[in-house]
Amino acid sequence: MSFELVIGIEIHCELKTKTKMFSGAPVSFAQEPNTCVNEIDLAHPGTLPSLNKKAVELSLTACKLFHLEIDRLLRFDRKNYYYSDLPKGFQITQQFFPVGKNGYVDIDVDGVSKRVRINRLHMEEDTAKQFHRDDVTLIDFNRAGTPLVEIVSEADMRSGKEAAAYVEKLRTMLEYGHISDVKMEEGSMRCDVNISIRPIGVDAFGTKVEIKNLNSVNNVERAIEYEFERQKTLLLSGQSVVQETRRFDEATRTTVSMRKKEGSVDYKYFPEPNIFPVYVSDEMLAYVEANLPEMPEDRFKRYTHEYQLNETDAKLLVSNKALGDYFEQIVQLGGAVKLTSNWLISEVLAVVDQKGEQSFSQWINPTFFVELFELLDKQVISSKQAKEVFTWMLKGQSPKATVEKQGMSQVSDESLLLSWVEEVITANPQSVIDYKNGKDRAIGFLVGQIMKLSKGKANPALTSQMVKEALSKR
Amino acid sequence: MERISVKKVHQLARQLMFSLSEQEAKDIVSEFDTLLSQLDLLDRIDTSDCEELVYPFETPTTFFREDVVDHVMDVKDVFLNAPKAENQYFVIPKVVKDNDE
Amino acid sequence: MTNKKEVWLQKAHKTIDELHKLQPKLNAVVSFVDVEKQVDEALDKMGPLAGMPVILKDNVLYKGIRATASSYMLDNYVATYDATVVSKFKEAGAIIVAKSSLDELGMGGSNITSFTGPVHNPYDLSRIAGGSSGGSAALVASGAVDLAIGTDTGDSIRKPAAFCGIVGFKPTYGRISRYGVIPYASSLDHVGYFTREVKLAAEALMLLSGRDDKDMTSISTPLENVVEALDESLANKRIGIFKNVLDAIDDEDTRTLFFDLMDKAKEQGATLVDISMNTNLIKTVLPTYYIIANCEATANHSNLDGVRFGTHEDGESLEEIMTNTRTKGFGPLIRKRFVIGSYGLMDENQELLLKKAQRVRRKLVEATEKMFESVDVIVAPASSHVAPKLNDPSIDQLSDKYLVAENYMVLGNFTGYPSITIPMGMKNHLPLGINLLSKGYDEKTLLQIAYQLEKLTGLKGLKAKVEL
Ligand SMILES: [Mg+2]
Ligand SMILES: [Zn+2]
Repeated sequence: MSFELVIGIEIHCELKTKTKMFSGAPVSFAQEPNTCVNEIDLAHPGTLPSLNKKAVELSLTACKLFHLEIDRLLRFDRKNYYYSDLPKGFQITQQFFPVGKNGYVDIDVDGVSKRVRINRLHMEEDTAKQFHRDDVTLIDFNRAGTPLVEIVSEADMRSGKEAAAYVEKLRTMLEYGHISDVKMEEGSMRCDVNISIRPIGVDAFGTKVEIKNLNSVNNVERAIEYEFERQKTLLLSGQSVVQETRRFDEATRTTVSMRKKEGSVDYKYFPEPNIFPVYVSDEMLAYVEANLPEMPEDRFKRYTHEYQLNETDAKLLVSNKALGDYFEQIVQLGGAVKLTSNWLISEVLAVVDQKGEQSFSQWINPTFFVELFELLDKQVISSKQAKEVFTWMLKGQSPKATVEKQGMSQVSDESLLLSWVEEVITANPQSVIDYKNGKDRAIGFLVGQIMKLSKGKANPALTSQMVKEALSKR
Repeated sequence: MERISVKKVHQLARQLMFSLSEQEAKDIVSEFDTLLSQLDLLDRIDTSDCEELVYPFETPTTFFREDVVDHVMDVKDVFLNAPKAENQYFVIPKVVKDNDE
Repeated sequence: MTNKKEVWLQKAHKTIDELHKLQPKLNAVVSFVDVEKQVDEALDKMGPLAGMPVILKDNVLYKGIRATASSYMLDNYVATYDATVVSKFKEAGAIIVAKSSLDELGMGGSNITSFTGPVHNPYDLSRIAGGSSGGSAALVASGAVDLAIGTDTGDSIRKPAAFCGIVGFKPTYGRISRYGVIPYASSLDHVGYFTREVKLAAEALMLLSGRDDKDMTSISTPLENVVEALDESLANKRIGIFKNVLDAIDDEDTRTLFFDLMDKAKEQGATLVDISMNTNLIKTVLPTYYIIANCEATANHSNLDGVRFGTHEDGESLEEIMTNTRTKGFGPLIRKRFVIGSYGLMDENQELLLKKAQRVRRKLVEATEKMFESVDVIVAPASSHVAPKLNDPSIDQLSDKYLVAENYMVLGNFTGYPSITIPMGMKNHLPLGINLLSKGYDEKTLLQIAYQLEKLTGLKGLKAKVEL
């Protein structure tokens, strides 16, 4: 019997805001514990929620990107449960009226396009972070109240590859949309997968297993593949799949049971009485629509048409948004398009793993490239020297400083060059004979000798021209 | 609506993170009987034509808070009321339940 | 300046001395507040309340002072921020001298459930002051202060005002910010206050009201100058006499006092109009309130878990800590209400309980709106009787007297309309009150009519003499 996978995915994604969803405390980036909180985040008595405009705008942007129908009357609900990472004893979410519903994204798997429907997108708030020690749990409320969107797909995916493509597509779009940092390893994007299998040809769904908190796109695929085999083996041996929550164990690349589902938990949802419904004005919606960020496809088109880059290079730059952003930064500062693209792809990408790819502009000041290209253009340095200059750029030294400190500037002074030319020709009479006999490579040899003599500083083009002239006079 | 049982009352209390004495549970059951007879009063009202009223006023608002930091607590205030804290963390006995949201 | 400081300090200290003297009798204070620094700050501001001693119900947060909401759960909780209404007081130059007792978490109507013990009625110490804002009511009635903050979810300002013979006022829902006020039921909670004169109530509204971005249910509808408008006479005013309520009142003295006052109003040019609501509908006020309030309350207080602040009882696990804390921290009445609220929120019950109640709430609001088609205010006695004895056996919860006459003021919370109670007369040396309700946002008309009626009762500034 052959089986097919039925996969639905829930993604939680932290929004890129300065403050929390319902409080004016700052969103924390690895700050000291409990330093990015106020009374609202700690659910002190008497506090009330106050909705973050930017979080709403980002959610609306996400709705637009995923073709979701927008509910312009924003309503919030309480999801009640007691836990130490949930200070109010309830989470404010949008259970009954999600801001977005019925959308889709198109994914690409092995050259085949497929549409995955998105059931809903809603706003909510994150929980506190807990650290489990030997005998105690430590709570840091910095993350508590961070704005989130939860994006729930339909069960439209049929393979681990499709699931991975879906997560990657959402990740890229949310990143391009400036909506989220989408760092799965760091938890700013978190992924839960619902999996069931059924014999091919059967319409009914099998028993659903949920795999929580997958922390990379690769693990999404791996977990699903493992789970597919596990469930298949169970069914083929006459056993049944248990409805449960599992987690993916990276070390063994298997999924492990966390807890069985004993009926569904009753979260006693009800409308949040402290937030009157808020209407999204025409202006706000127009603002969001007018400022829809460029998506990867658009950027690709722009790079191939406007910048005339070849498709391979354009694809490379687009696939790494940070690199693409960096590319544009340099071009905007005056870097030639093709030169910039070449340098980034051949030189920068080659060393990217050493540095962590997200901070290009902190790592190499983009003006350095502009300087470098200028030095090349004015023939102050040779392209060979440029490579050496680049190694200094990595250490934070500007090209001009490098040229000065390393005494690198190219010699274009004709009288000095001429003296070198004469010296080398005199020392190599055979080359003159070779040249007269029509062997052009004698020029190359002589130029090489001059380079050696000048410790690489001789302007190669000029040198070559002067060698030719000198030879023809002999 | 059915009468509530003492067992159900205890179960609800457990979910609400407190316990009840037997007497308290019985009191709730009898209070519930009063509520049931009052619910008969509600049932006499035909509400088939109307929506729930959740808020006193239903004109939608349009205010959003600007995304600007307005108030961060001093760490001293964060822990002023904390029953148990160490190294700037709130401390509780080790929990094993997994994050659920 | 120094002279003024001395005068203000003296005044504040005198008030505090008075409160200390009253405390063994009334048991109305939970915490006293230091005044020195406040006086300095108030002198800098020179606001309109210039040095006036005021009291906060102990569910209102004042930075650096404990806020218990009269629950053992918050016995040790020290506020780290000011409620908006406190900021407004500071701005106005008021001096907060004490925090007053309430029914635990505001959930009651007797003020006998505070963890610090019952509050006594200043007219008769064997009687209740009413609740939940009983501490504030008793202290204003005794004359210790002229102004005290209360909160009103069912009738928690307006009922104790009646029992204590003072003015109890709650404005339109959202008119005064709820930020920094420990909630009971968010969709019904109002911040208001007690005075002994309608005029001060009007003046205080100008100072304490206003849109607050920290409270998303705060309203931005501008407030008219309610003080200037007070002098307008009753001529052309249409007063609706709430028939259902009066029909349910069997106490002849209450009825007589009420109708005598109405006759006088008529002499002043007011038009009296009998108005009423469907009898089946008005009987639903109490159960509707009970369900909505308890459902909201149980969630509102889920933050009280012993982890971040407040009472903490040890345990081997998180669950044990929470359970031990919440078992010990809440009184039995509170736990009872939470169980019932939680039952109403359950998936299989919500339709029949919470949602049904919320739909009936709409019916009640529509019916109230309809009554206002022909009148400016709706009036009725605030209670059918004088303040009950502390040991009064529980009332028949299904009688019309109880369902209608003792609970109709909740309509003011369902609708969010402004409402005020003023004293209307005495029975056996105990006060009785009359309650007025106006349309939403129309505090001007409400206060105007209350002010004119106050003239007719001759009870302006009524004060209890507490036997010390
Ligand atoms: Mg979910
Ligand atoms: Zn969620």
